[in-house]
Amino acid sequence: MDTISQASARKASAVRKGVVIAVVLAVLTLIEFVVGLVFPNPWILLTLALLKAVIVIQFFMHVSRVFAREGGH
Amino acid sequence: MTTSGVSVHGRGHVDQVIENEHTAYQRMVRMLRIGLWLFIISDSFMFAGLFVSRFYLLGGTRPELSQALGLIVTSVLLASSFYMNRAETLIEHGDREGFLRCTLITIGLGLGFFVGVVFLEWPLAASHIGGPAASAMSSVFFMMTGMHAFHVITGILFLLVIYFNGRNGRYTPERHWMVEACANYWHFVDVVWIFFYPALYLIGTPVALEP
Repeated sequence: MDTISQASARKASAVRKGVVIAVVLAVLTLIEFVVGLVFPNPWILLTLALLKAVIVIQFFMHVSRVFAREGGH
Repeated sequence: MTTSGVSVHGRGHVDQVIENEHTAYQRMVRMLRIGLWLFIISDSFMFAGLFVSRFYLLGGTRPELSQALGLIVTSVLLASSFYMNRAETLIEHGDREGFLRCTLITIGLGLGFFVGVVFLEWPLAASHIGGPAASAMSSVFFMMTGMHAFHVITGILFLLVIYFNGRNGRYTPERHWMVEACANYWHFVDVVWIFFYPALYLIGTPVALEP
């Protein structure tokens, strides 16, 4: 049986994870912007975009849930 | 007569019914999730077509656009994705107030993105490259941003639906499929912009055409 403190610790951990991912995405966007202005190599820019997309799909869209046996929730 | 045996039996039956309902709900969510992802994949083919047409028609050039505005609207959409994720996380953990607050912030940021692109960027772009029918470059620009903005608007409508449903207490930590679906749709809109932003604002030599 979960205690209230365990539940709130789980919630805090999940919220923190979202913050970390958002910071990583913000840093990548800033790098993308600087690369675009200084050295606009399309391959570097598309690689950065692909990396950001993978992060969003994996951590925000939870693509792995599609393959989970459990329905979740 | 003692009723303890009967009540235990009754409780067991109720537990069984709840368990069956939960299993049926989970099975339904699994199916709905696959359906949602099939929709997202099919919609992404349309955006991929626009993305490829940009490189086919414009090659190493791009429209002359405001870099500052591009970075601002991109950051606003990124922040909205963060708040959407937070809203979903909070309803998963039973924090309804937090869910409602974050959903409202997501709606506000989504509207900010829409205003930034349609009411600020479009007139600026039109002054540099002309209207949607002026050239291949302007057609590509307005088609890509317009189709994306349309998805932003439908996403905001979806967000409003889950906001009002949430206010009426329809979502619980165990049952909130609609919130998950809305969050996935909103993140998909963000993923599309992740590719459109460099394609329109960063890659290629800026070209201003006679309007």
